[in-house]
Amino acid sequence: MYRYLALIALLITSQLVGSNYVTNLLNIIGLFALPALGLALLMGYAGQISLGHAGFYGMGAFGSALLAMHTGISPWITIPVVAVLVGIFAWGIGWLVFRLRGHHLAMATLAFGIIVHVCLVEFRQLTGGPNGLPGIPVLSFFGTDLYSDTRIFPVIWIACILALIAAENLVRSPIGLFMRALGENERAAASLGIAPDSMKRSVMMLSGAFAGFAGGLYAHYIGYLSPGPFDVGMSIKLLIMVAIGGFTSIWGVLLGVAFVTLISEVLKPLGAYDILVFGAMLVFIIIYCPRGILFPITEMFTRIRVKQAPQADKTV
Amino acid sequence: MTAQQKPLLDVQTVSMQFGGLRALSEVIFDVQQGEILALIGPNGAGKTTLLNIVSGALKPTSGTICLDGQPVDGLTADQINRQGIVRTFQAAEIFGSLTLRQNVMTGGVAGSAVTFVDGLLGWGRARRVDRELHARADEHLALVGLLDKADQLAASLPAGQQRLLGIARALATGPKVMLLDEPGAGLNSTEKKNLVEVVRRLRDSGKTIVLVEHDMQVIKQLADRIVVLDHGAVIGVGLPEEIQRNEAVVNAYLGSAGTIERNPAQTDTRSGEQLLALTGISVRYNGVQAVNDASLVVNKGEIVTIVGANGAGKSSLLKAIAGVVTPSSGEITLGGTALTGKTADERVSLGMSLTPEGRELFPSLSVYDNLILGRYAQLKGQNGLWGLVRMPAEAKAEMARRLEFCFGLFPILAERREQLAATLSGGQAQMLAIARSLMNDPTLLMLDEPSLGLAPQINEVIFQTMTELQAEGLTILLIEQNARAALQIANRGYVLVNGDIVATGNAADLLGDDQIASSYLGFGDQGDAEDSLMVNIQ
Repeated sequence: MYRYLALIALLITSQLVGSNYVTNLLNIIGLFALPALGLALLMGYAGQISLGHAGFYGMGAFGSALLAMHTGISPWITIPVVAVLVGIFAWGIGWLVFRLRGHHLAMATLAFGIIVHVCLVEFRQLTGGPNGLPGIPVLSFFGTDLYSDTRIFPVIWIACILALIAAENLVRSPIGLFMRALGENERAAASLGIAPDSMKRSVMMLSGAFAGFAGGLYAHYIGYLSPGPFDVGMSIKLLIMVAIGGFTSIWGVLLGVAFVTLISEVLKPLGAYDILVFGAMLVFIIIYCPRGILFPITEMFTRIRVKQAPQADKTV
Repeated sequence: MTAQQKPLLDVQTVSMQFGGLRALSEVIFDVQQGEILALIGPNGAGKTTLLNIVSGALKPTSGTICLDGQPVDGLTADQINRQGIVRTFQAAEIFGSLTLRQNVMTGGVAGSAVTFVDGLLGWGRARRVDRELHARADEHLALVGLLDKADQLAASLPAGQQRLLGIARALATGPKVMLLDEPGAGLNSTEKKNLVEVVRRLRDSGKTIVLVEHDMQVIKQLADRIVVLDHGAVIGVGLPEEIQRNEAVVNAYLGSAGTIERNPAQTDTRSGEQLLALTGISVRYNGVQAVNDASLVVNKGEIVTIVGANGAGKSSLLKAIAGVVTPSSGEITLGGTALTGKTADERVSLGMSLTPEGRELFPSLSVYDNLILGRYAQLKGQNGLWGLVRMPAEAKAEMARRLEFCFGLFPILAERREQLAATLSGGQAQMLAIARSLMNDPTLLMLDEPSLGLAPQINEVIFQTMTELQAEGLTILLIEQNARAALQIANRGYVLVNGDIVATGNAADLLGDDQIASSYLGFGDQGDAEDSLMVNIQ
């Protein structure tokens, strides 16, 4: 609860004192936080790797944009509808890939991400190919178009906070225990009556829906889409965010996303070579900080919270 | 147990085939409501395979398993669990990153009506189920005596308590039948008493229990009936007293020498110099004492055997010598050189070779490649890494000589030199494993269970080869479950029981001693058996 209040206070403060640049950054953080949260549930809790989450993000973005452009339906409807469809699609992908484990699963999801990216580039009539897709309708709120950074800001962050609440509910519930059991030892989990594959697919579905929703928001916020951002690099970036957050920490993910986004800003002069730094960072984190680079900070947060509420034992 | 009762669990002619290996053949037994049935048998008898089949991890090649008259074979592990059969694991396999309470709570989730959407919403049913699971988990933890540690992380528990936690977690699934896989392995006597108490409480609470266990003390205190497996077949079913007297069971445990000839060099006592000496070696894994203060000596040119039942600590002792595990105390010397701090490959280049249990060949390499790899550790010790890349001429010649020696010893390997190791039969694979460890021309050859899973005729060849090798001047340390065969060819023997060396002496004397059998099988009061063995033999 304190964390939510602190987050909301921080967001409001940013709007009162911050510049447009700060708002823009926070929007980017929010749009990455959604798919990263989904990926954390899948990887950190259920123990299944995905290197193709940019695919779901791209499907959500193009799906919602195209649906809104061709049918004229309001983005308020197309975004959630497409997110649900992407979720169902993710369930199907799960049905295909979760017969694999470890490296094979990583390869299969990587291939999925590449396939989606190639499709976005090659289906020129539909997606505009490398030239991109201009003229995507923006969200409007009672006649006010939400095209500026400050106007879309509350929409993005309300979605983020709802997703945070849902994810946190989930990991604290018996189902969350179930997921962690599965992530830690599939054989033992199955011996306790947990159907491993069906659980993995459910988490994949939720994870895909989160990514698809963020993609939709992104499309109607930017107003123009090109396949460029939805490549493997983005999937890797999401992975790094989750790793920095320490895999099994819902709030750690948010910090991880913020950290990576800020680093990206610093690395802008490097252009496309920033991926080198991210790669090195990923290797470093996996070897030296398996619980996340921000673990000491998250730990501090937890300690403060425990001090304030000594009965709290549900640290997740 | 009344026989006319309808069985709760009925295993009907279950067979299991792994490629060319028949792991189980037409296994039949039943388990009555409320009884504790012990499933025993020597290493490799097929107990774990059977457990995996009943719990759904494996599908049997043929046969049926019925729970309460309903067939359950062909269901997946999670479906079988929901039907009411739960298993525990030898290695406990608890969820280390969860607390004890959370571990037990996971057992109850599948049986509760909570769904994924409930979890996302967080209030209502998810909350209520969470509270219920919490309360029930505490009851189960209290039953196994771990309630005071409920909020600790499970990874912090010692191995013995992890198994108890595994039992509590299994109990939380609300099973009719509980399959306990070696719950007593590696526990000390206090922990075992506690375990016996816990299993009794489970039975009193109405659970039916199938217990796979090696410790006969535990079985004697708990089992209503015993089923004995050997080489994948049931060789005895009955009350503990009946099983104890069953000749076939005793033979299965002690092995048989068959037609293995007595080693002509056996009585040659060779007072000679010590090659290998162990003083006060203890090995602990994760808090479990596997070997306790063991001291032994192997003289040059001897065959020395360490015999003992499964789980007695034989392999741990061997691993400590080979440098695979680090002993918690004690000293090992080879030819007067202390081995402390030497890595496994350094020890190999000092002249010791280990043929590991289960052979550990490189299946995707040819027989020839497997053999030359056996010499690389020594070559690296002599010529450095570069010596492996560009082998000096004399090293090449020596390699060829060793190959010739090995092919001479096992001609079948020469025939199959280009064949992949994966395609060899069990006996050929064992020969290759032995030949590979002979490639570096060791002064000491250590063999870990070379007869495991092999047909008697093959064992004859392998044991006979050892006497030939001894005649060539090789010193051999042999770890065997087939005590009779091993003692037939060895000069001296050590008997290991629960990590303690309880007897030592000339192999011929040990072979004639009836009490070895009782210490081996663990029937009778163990303390007494150990004491009298010590008196008799030393």
